[in-house]
Amino acid sequence: MNLHIRLEAAKNALNTLIRQPVATFMTVFALAIVLALPVGLFATLNNLQQLLGHWQDQAQISLFLHQEAPATEIQHLQTLLERGTGVVSVRYVGKAAALTEFEHTAGMTAAIQTLGENPLPASFVVELNPLAQSPSALQTLVAYWGRQPGVASAQSDLGWVARLQAILALGQRAVWILAGLLAVGVILVMGNTIRLHIAQRRDEIDVASLVGATRAFIRRPFLYQGLFQGAVAGVLAWMIVAVTVSVLQGPVERLAELYGTHFHLLGLSSGQGLVLIAASALLGWLGSRLAVGRHLDHTFS
Amino acid sequence: MIEFINVTKHYPGRHHVLREVNLRLRKGEMALLTGPSGAGKSTLLKLLLRLEDVSHGTLMVNGIDVSTLRRRHIPAYRRRIGVVFQDHKLLMDRDVFSNVALTLQVGGLSGRQVQSRVRAALEKVGLGNRAQDFPAILSGGEQQRVGIARAIVHTPEILLADEPTGNLDQSLSTEILDLFRDFHHHGTTVLVATHDQSQVNRLGLPVFHLEKGHLHTPGEGNA
Repeated sequence: MNLHIRLEAAKNALNTLIRQPVATFMTVFALAIVLALPVGLFATLNNLQQLLGHWQDQAQISLFLHQEAPATEIQHLQTLLERGTGVVSVRYVGKAAALTEFEHTAGMTAAIQTLGENPLPASFVVELNPLAQSPSALQTLVAYWGRQPGVASAQSDLGWVARLQAILALGQRAVWILAGLLAVGVILVMGNTIRLHIAQRRDEIDVASLVGATRAFIRRPFLYQGLFQGAVAGVLAWMIVAVTVSVLQGPVERLAELYGTHFHLLGLSSGQGLVLIAASALLGWLGSRLAVGRHLDHTFS
Repeated sequence: MIEFINVTKHYPGRHHVLREVNLRLRKGEMALLTGPSGAGKSTLLKLLLRLEDVSHGTLMVNGIDVSTLRRRHIPAYRRRIGVVFQDHKLLMDRDVFSNVALTLQVGGLSGRQVQSRVRAALEKVGLGNRAQDFPAILSGGEQQRVGIARAIVHTPEILLADEPTGNLDQSLSTEILDLFRDFHHHGTTVLVATHDQSQVNRLGLPVFHLEKGHLHTPGEGNA
């Protein structure tokens, strides 16, 4: 296929869009808003995961040891724990340290002194990244640790991790469903827009067909129109998300400071932005392809 | 060569538009197709352009069996033919140059070739200085000349015209038909459908007369 034919078709498509600036802008902006919605939700989920990453040390498991556990078993257990998936830190709390900590936090020094002997067991405190594996895998791991020689009991609060991961999974699935529906919306909007363009240029199509134009020749400018409008809508959608993130940045940072932490909202990365533009250009092309295909079936039948 | 062999055209649920038509026009010949409105002249030209399918019979054009031509080969076949319409079928939002250039663009010619050939075609029809004008400001005769330039710009083997002088006065009709005769003298096969009896008489060309779908034996117009 000659390059100049493609270039001519691309020029033709651009001219058509430029000749109708208001209609083109309205179509592209409508598409951009439709695209910005799932992309914005995607960015929100990204930020939520980032935020939860800050709380990874809150998944804490305590393994209480037998009073008479030998040092070799304790050493072996520590090595095992440190090799566990998603383990951030392993801290050994000896009997004396446990007593001191208990006295410090519970304020029951006098009562404990009456016992004469230190009743508290030594323990390991393991901090885990709650997002490193599934809740069931975490439960299995903790149960495995609990069965190790020297371990009297394991105590964990992983319920919130399961709830958190379930919410995130639900959110991700909802975003995908929404994205799928809105992608269909983009295809329909683009298909309808191209259908109107085809109606406007019906005479041209008929004359071109009479003088021997192929389907590809007639179809090409419309496909480029869809492609161009989709790509520009993708750029606009990226900008909408970037502006929204920028506007929310200040309030979010102030809110994070109130909770004694720092948090910086993330927009789309360059790679994600380029994927967005490519995907929306593809959707625009697809919408055009469907509309033009239907029309040409009629013209060439 | 154009050859209709027992060609019949009918539409489902309607009468026969063409019945057992036999017509032969040798390469480089020019002929007129006459007959009253509704006689089937336009249908016969549509069959030649493969805008309609032959119901029965065989239609051969320069060795191609048009009646069985596959759909994907139709565009290439049409690029070997030039066609002129009574209503010109010009694109009103494009200037004269672009209207004529369309025929070459669908053929995939480069911009430089398009430029030179469109200029030459417009010169041939006497519109060399109107390339940038839009059809709306041209007279009926000038619009028809643009239509003719579009039909001949790719030097087709066959030139078809469907009532090309239908909306023109006598002197313009004469000019237009003389243009067709010029192309015929340069070796193009030309078939012109017309019901203008004075032009038929003036031109003295072979005449195929259609009447209610039947084609009558070719005769000579009065010179």
